[in-house]
Amino acid sequence: MKKFIFSRLLQSVVVVWIVYTVTFWLLMATPGDPFIGKKQPPPAVLAALRRDYHLNQGDFHAYLAYGWQILAHGDFGPTISYANWTVLDVIRNSLPVSVALGAMALLIALWLGVAAGVLGAVYRGRWPDVALAVGTLLGISLPTFVIGSGLLMLFAVETSLLPSGGWGSIEQLILPACTLSVLFLAYLARLSRASALDVISSDFIRTARAKGLSPMKVIAGHVLPNASIPVLAFLGPATASVLTGSFIVEKIFAIPGLGEVFVNACLDKDIPLVLGIVLVYTVLLVLMNLLVDIACAFADPRIRL
Amino acid sequence: MPMAPMETRHAIKSPFRLERCRIELLGHGLNCRKRGNGVSLSAMRQTLLIPSLVLLIVGSICFYVSTPHRQGADAISFCEAGQIHTLDPDKMTWMQDIRVATGLWEGLAQLNPKTLQPVPGVAKSWKISHDGLRYTFNLRHNARWSNGRSVTTADFLFAWKRILQPSTAGGYVTMLFHIAGAKDYFNSLAAGRHAAFGSVGIQAPTPYKLVVTLTHPCAYFLSLMAFPPFFPLNPDAMAKFRSHGQSPAHYNPRWTRPPYLVSDGPYYLAAWKFHQYLELRPNKYYWDRQAVKCPVLYVRNFPDSQSAFLAYQSGAVNVLSFVPTLFAPALLRQQRQHLRDDVHYRQVFGSYYYNINCRHKPLNNPLIRRALDMAIDKRAIVKHILRLPDRTLEVLVPPDSIPGYVSPRGLAMNIPAARKLLIKAGYPGGRGLPVFKFLTNSGAAINIRIAQAIAEMWRQNLGVRVNIHQEESKIFNQDVVQGNYDIARAGWYGDYMDPTTWLDLYRTGNPNNLTGFSNPRLNALLHAASRQADVARRFALLHQAEKLLVTRWMPSIPLFQYSDGLMYNPRRIGGISTNVRMITLLKYIHWIHHAVPQAAEAGR
Repeated sequence: MKKFIFSRLLQSVVVVWIVYTVTFWLLMATPGDPFIGKKQPPPAVLAALRRDYHLNQGDFHAYLAYGWQILAHGDFGPTISYANWTVLDVIRNSLPVSVALGAMALLIALWLGVAAGVLGAVYRGRWPDVALAVGTLLGISLPTFVIGSGLLMLFAVETSLLPSGGWGSIEQLILPACTLSVLFLAYLARLSRASALDVISSDFIRTARAKGLSPMKVIAGHVLPNASIPVLAFLGPATASVLTGSFIVEKIFAIPGLGEVFVNACLDKDIPLVLGIVLVYTVLLVLMNLLVDIACAFADPRIRL
Repeated sequence: MPMAPMETRHAIKSPFRLERCRIELLGHGLNCRKRGNGVSLSAMRQTLLIPSLVLLIVGSICFYVSTPHRQGADAISFCEAGQIHTLDPDKMTWMQDIRVATGLWEGLAQLNPKTLQPVPGVAKSWKISHDGLRYTFNLRHNARWSNGRSVTTADFLFAWKRILQPSTAGGYVTMLFHIAGAKDYFNSLAAGRHAAFGSVGIQAPTPYKLVVTLTHPCAYFLSLMAFPPFFPLNPDAMAKFRSHGQSPAHYNPRWTRPPYLVSDGPYYLAAWKFHQYLELRPNKYYWDRQAVKCPVLYVRNFPDSQSAFLAYQSGAVNVLSFVPTLFAPALLRQQRQHLRDDVHYRQVFGSYYYNINCRHKPLNNPLIRRALDMAIDKRAIVKHILRLPDRTLEVLVPPDSIPGYVSPRGLAMNIPAARKLLIKAGYPGGRGLPVFKFLTNSGAAINIRIAQAIAEMWRQNLGVRVNIHQEESKIFNQDVVQGNYDIARAGWYGDYMDPTTWLDLYRTGNPNNLTGFSNPRLNALLHAASRQADVARRFALLHQAEKLLVTRWMPSIPLFQYSDGLMYNPRRIGGISTNVRMITLLKYIHWIHHAVPQAAEAGR
């Protein structure tokens, strides 16, 4: 087990390093200069700015300098667009917004998704099941900006039941959280329906029934632990992707989360900020997958291969 | 351990490939024809309880941490057009940063909110020598920092020395170059040579007397004293943020964040929530404390103007520092029909124009540049595309904004004359001219529509063809600075009330000279004006320079003067005065007294 965890950790470090490298060189390849604005300062001021952001001695020097800074200080230093805030400050302030939104979206997805999936399994082949199939297909195939704009039109513009955007109250959270949850809800509904059906029809359940266990005991003791493994396994990567997937939702509903900051950082070519946010998302994604892998390895010894 | 079915194991093994496993699982589920028992909902709920609880707790904590705290009913919420980029007065260049800075700090002078004329600030009086070169400021003894300490000349010396370090990277450092020796000091340091700050024309004979010597008379030097690069800084408060082993310019940028920021203006910074709001509260040590009547001022920002406008409509924001362009025509119509009275719209000291790259053939020929200008129907653009009461421009400096300065007459639209100019230049009917690279920046949708209309006018009226390129602002700026264009969109807001804020853009060697235009006669006129202490004579020289620029040389095609505005209910909010430079002095904003109970109602 120790060996398994160690090797997975090592792999994760390599993944993070590759992501840092690729992001850095992609950023360098994009056109535009972060320091050139509408009004031009004297050349000496521009030179000082470039030096402050390690951009005065060539790209490779910057690559090493930023890499060293993150290793030595755990921070990329001040951002370019918001010079009074370091990358870590920005993430510390904006990530909770995205996390709160993501957690609410996942909560909605988890409950409604599993409920819908179980409903589908119970009424297999009948109309609730068909409705579920159609609904999940729509949920998976419709892009977030269509769902978001649709909900916005319906609940904020046409009926004024809910606020159209912003951050600060529970009402403002409802529409974006619902929009963000749709995709995960659809996945979870399919997943839980399929795995419930799957487990119910397997051999060991028949054995358990043959032993004379009551239907309730069969489900609680045998079906559910096995059927919920894929749902739980899904939650790990879903947590990471609900955070990374909230960019568009944050833009539509004017939410001051990390996604909104990230989009603007890319447009401003704010090198340290883009690197920082990409790395945070990478670490989150890798960490979630690692945790799920370790949890699953505990649950099923055959996975540690 | 019960065996997991085959497909489920796939799902566990490769959580990265959710897509595939889900399809497999689904297929398995659909192919399954064996009838199973119903799944118990209550049991399912129990295994979901732990992840749900975790999500709920994490979500709630994050939500609580990230939401702005409830603002009191007496607070005024002021919405800015953009994010606050920095609160370091030496580094700021953005309008919204400068506006907040004038609420937090006070320089030697402050501006009269209506006339924008300099009035005493930290300096209670000043004396200017006859040749206009020596300014003696007498500081008031009761000017204090927000920590109670007196503001003295040492604070000004500290701040001015700091911005003159090239490594401070002060965006507006060139404004200090009016001071004798400042430019040489800056350039020496930039070249890595040693320079003594004593060589700069700033002396402080006593803690309350500051003598500044200029290189040449500067008509607007006093108004610069109300501008952030000239604000004092508190050395003691900043000392603990000094980076060791670095030049005097290096401070940890955290010094501008509450509770560390110490300022000497009407307000102090009580809180700053990144990307959400700043909380300003009256500085109890401020010498003019009784003039500050707003108990709490929130400076807020929204990711886009539509959501800001919705927040304003719902009452969450009391003052909007802009009129959203999308709604502006409709809002102004309602205002005209007396359906609303909260749109405060006006001409401002800014203009929208096109730069022409004067470095290369054939656009280095002023005849072609003039022809391009005369073939544009500017009135049609303002009327049909902008649909706003903006004024068309034939000159560079927005007319009637500077007292005493008379604008020259520019060229009017004249298509036959424009065609003749092209013939004279050797390109009859546009034949022989290349397709010009016409650069515009994305962001505002209006830019591309104006560009398309003008391209069509040029094609129809002159036979001149252009290729429109729309670029993201960072790429656009880089291309314009590097001269990688033929014709490019431009906009400029005056930094001080003087024609040179525009005319200097065409001076040889100015980093902001984006057209590459260079003319010894213009340089001589600008130089002569900078040496002229007499206001009327100086303006006459500048008038002549502008006249030559807009009637003969035409390095830029002026299109229209910007309008901008504020939105607030004039029966509830007072102390906001409209002026051409969009300078809203936060100091004077207040509730109109009888409106407070009503406001409190709305707050609840």
